[in-house]
Amino acid sequence: MAGSAATIVCAFVPASALRFAGTSTPKVLTPKERHCLQATVSRIIPADANGPGALEAGCAVYVESALRDAYRSQKPAYSAGLAALDSCAITRHGKVFAALDVAKQNQILSDFERSTRVGEYADSAFFFEMVRRHTLEGMFGDPSYGGNANFAGWDLIGYPGLRMYVNPDLERLNAAIPRSRVSADQLLHGSR
Amino acid sequence: MAPVNLPKTDVVVIGLGAAGGLAVLPLVRAGLKIVGLEAGGWFRPSDHHPDEIRNNIRHWPHAVQKANHEIPTARDGRNGPPLPRPLYHPMMNGVGGTSLHYWAQSWRLTEWDFKARSETIRRYGASAIPEGSTVEDWPVSYEELEPYYDKVEYAIGVSGKAGNVQGAIDKSGNIFESTRQREYPMPALRGAGFADLMANAAKRLRWHPYNPPAAINSVPYDKRTACFYHGFCGSGGCPVNAKNSTAVTTIPQAMATGNLKVVPYAHVIAIEADVHGRVTGARYLSDKKEYFQPASVVLLAGYSYENTRVLLLSKSKAYPRGLSNNHGQVGLHYMSHTRNGVMGLFPFDLNRWYGTPAQGTSLDDWADDNFDHAGVGFIGGGNLLVTMEAKPIEAASMSTFGKAPRWGSGWKAFVKENAGRWAPVWAQISTFPFEDHFLDLDPEVKDPLGYPVCRLTVGLKESERSAMRFMQEKAEQWLREAGAIAIDKLPLVPIGLSTHAYGGTRMGHDPETNVVNAWGFSHEAPNLGILGASTMGTSGARNPTLTVQALAWRTADHLIKEWKSIAE
Repeated sequence: MAGSAATIVCAFVPASALRFAGTSTPKVLTPKERHCLQATVSRIIPADANGPGALEAGCAVYVESALRDAYRSQKPAYSAGLAALDSCAITRHGKVFAALDVAKQNQILSDFERSTRVGEYADSAFFFEMVRRHTLEGMFGDPSYGGNANFAGWDLIGYPGLRMYVNPDLERLNAAIPRSRVSADQLLHGSR
Repeated sequence: MAPVNLPKTDVVVIGLGAAGGLAVLPLVRAGLKIVGLEAGGWFRPSDHHPDEIRNNIRHWPHAVQKANHEIPTARDGRNGPPLPRPLYHPMMNGVGGTSLHYWAQSWRLTEWDFKARSETIRRYGASAIPEGSTVEDWPVSYEELEPYYDKVEYAIGVSGKAGNVQGAIDKSGNIFESTRQREYPMPALRGAGFADLMANAAKRLRWHPYNPPAAINSVPYDKRTACFYHGFCGSGGCPVNAKNSTAVTTIPQAMATGNLKVVPYAHVIAIEADVHGRVTGARYLSDKKEYFQPASVVLLAGYSYENTRVLLLSKSKAYPRGLSNNHGQVGLHYMSHTRNGVMGLFPFDLNRWYGTPAQGTSLDDWADDNFDHAGVGFIGGGNLLVTMEAKPIEAASMSTFGKAPRWGSGWKAFVKENAGRWAPVWAQISTFPFEDHFLDLDPEVKDPLGYPVCRLTVGLKESERSAMRFMQEKAEQWLREAGAIAIDKLPLVPIGLSTHAYGGTRMGHDPETNVVNAWGFSHEAPNLGILGASTMGTSGARNPTLTVQALAWRTADHLIKEWKSIAE
C-alpha cells in the first residue's frame, strides 16, 4: 500500500523533519474509520463555549499521522476499536457511530469507558483509554505533529508556550506571562 | 563468520552512561588506554528539542533503539500475573546514556543507608527487619564514599546548598544530610513561586525544607552556561549544555587526554572468559558485523537490567550458568523505588510551567532513621519532593480529583480552570531486597537478535505498603498546609520497569550472597568490574545517580591502585 514506503522512511528521520505531517493527507485509515475517529475525538474534547474541540484542533490528523509511523503497531487496535464503535451503533440505532446524535455517541463511549462487553469485542475500555490518551497528546502536544492547531490546546489550559530562556519573574506565582505561540521547530529555527 | 579481532586495550568499558562515562575520567588520567563501547550515538545540543511528544511520550525516536528492542518483562510474584510491559524502555542509548535526559537530581545517600540492617537491629531489634528481606549492610561506609561523592560533585558540577559541612549544621541546607567535606561547587538552583509556597508551608509544620541538589548549572561552570529553565528538562536533553550529563563533562574531558576511544553504535552481546575464569574482552555487533575487543580488564556499566542480562547471556566453560554466576547470585536482591505520589489541587494558579524537575523543595524529616519507627511497620522512610516543570500534556492529563468527568465538555471546563492548579508530591521510599524479588532471563520473550530479554519478578511487601501510606499521609499534610483543597493519592501497586532499578549484581563481602566485592570487582572473575545501581544493596530514599557515580569513581581508583594484581 502507498503508506508503507512512508512508514519505513519515517522510522529513520527525526521528528523535526515531520513538521509537514499534519498538512499532508495521511492514508492509513479507511474513510469509514476516519469518520468514526473524528466523531470520537469530538466527543472526548468537544467544541463548545470554551473554544475549539479536538477535531478542530487536528487531533484526528495527529492520530492518523502517528498510526503511519510512531504508533503503527497500534493500527490494528484502532481498526478493531473503530469497527466495534460502528458495530455497536448499528446494533443499537441502525446507523454508524459518526451518524448518531451527540447523546447517543456519548452513551456508547461511556459504555466503552466502563468496559461494557460490546458484542464479540472485549477491549472496549483499553481502546477508549488509548484514544483518550492520544487525543490529549494531539490537543496539548507540539503543533508540528498535526494537532494543537492555532495553539488551541495550549490556550485552553493557559500554557504560556515555548521559550528558550525563562526569566525568574516568569516562575513567580501569579506572573502575567505573554503567550509565545511558537512550535518547537519555530523556536529553534525561526518562523517559517 | 568469526568476529573481527581488534587490538588489545587496557580496559574496555561497556556502556558510556552515567557510570561508565564517569569512570573513564580517572582511568585515562592514570594513563590507561580505554575503549568505550556505547550502543547509541552522539547527540548535539541542537538535537534536544522542547517537545513533550518526542521526549516524554515517544521517548526519543531519534535515538538508537537498542533498549526498546530489549524491554524487560515483569510479573507480580513468581506465580503472579504479568505487569504491563511499556512500549518504551525507561532508559536510553547514547553517548552519555540516560544522563542525557535524567532529572539530574544528585543526592548523596546518608550514613544510615549503608548500614540499615545493623542500625535497625541495634535500635529496634532483629524482628524489625522485614520478613524475607535479604538486606545486608553495604561493604562500604558513607565515610569511605564521601571523598568520591565530593570528586563527582566537582567533576560534573552539582548545584546545591550544604546542610552539614564537617559537622557544622546550616539550616538553609538539608540538616539531615551526612557530613560533607565542603560546600557544593555551585549554589542551589533558583527558587520559584510554587517551590517557595511549599517551603513556607513545610516551615509552618516545623519541618526542614531545602533546595534539592542537581547536576545542573545554577551559574556558569566549566565553560558551560547556567540553566535557562526552559521547562523541558525531565526526559529532555539540554539544548544549552547546562545539564551535566557525562556526554558534556567527563567523557569529553577523558577524550582530551587521547586515552579514550569512544566506539558508538557498538551493541555488546557477550563478555568472553577463558578457562581460568578471567574475562578476556567483549564481543559486539556494529553495522551487522561482529567484533571482539580484547582487554586486560572489563568494566560492565550498563543499566541494572542489562548488566544482569549480559552476565547471564555470557556463558562459558568457566561460567556455565552465566558470567560470575557460579554462586547463583546474578539477578538476585533486585529492587526499585515504588511509584508513590500524592496530587494536590489548589484554588489558584501554581505557575509550574517552566523550570526543571530538579528545581523545587524537598525534605527529609520522614526519611531514613530521622524519626522513631517504633510501631510504624517499616524501616527507613521517604524523601518528599515537589518540583517545577509541568509540561502541557502532563498537566492536562491530570486527576479530576472526583470533581469532573474524564472527557467531554465537563472535563474540558475542568482542565481549563485547573490544569495549572495542581502539583504532585513525590515520596520516594527506601526499598530493600527480598528473597523473591529478582531478575532472570525471560523464558519466552526475545530481542530481534534472538536473545532472551530480562524478566523482573517483583511485588509490594506489607512493609513497603506501610511506608508508602505513611509518606502519603505526610505528603497530604504538606499539601493541605500549603492550601490544597483536594487530594488524590496514587494507588499502592507494584511497578515493573523503573528508572531507579537496583541490585542484580549486588556488592558485598560474602561471595555466597553477592556478585561483586567491596570495590565493585567480581568475586569470581577477578578482572571484571561492574558499575551501576545493580551493585547497590539498598535504594535509599533518593535518586541513585550520584551514588552510582561515586561508586564508579571508587572502582576506577581501586583498579588504578591495584592494576598489577587485577589486570596481570
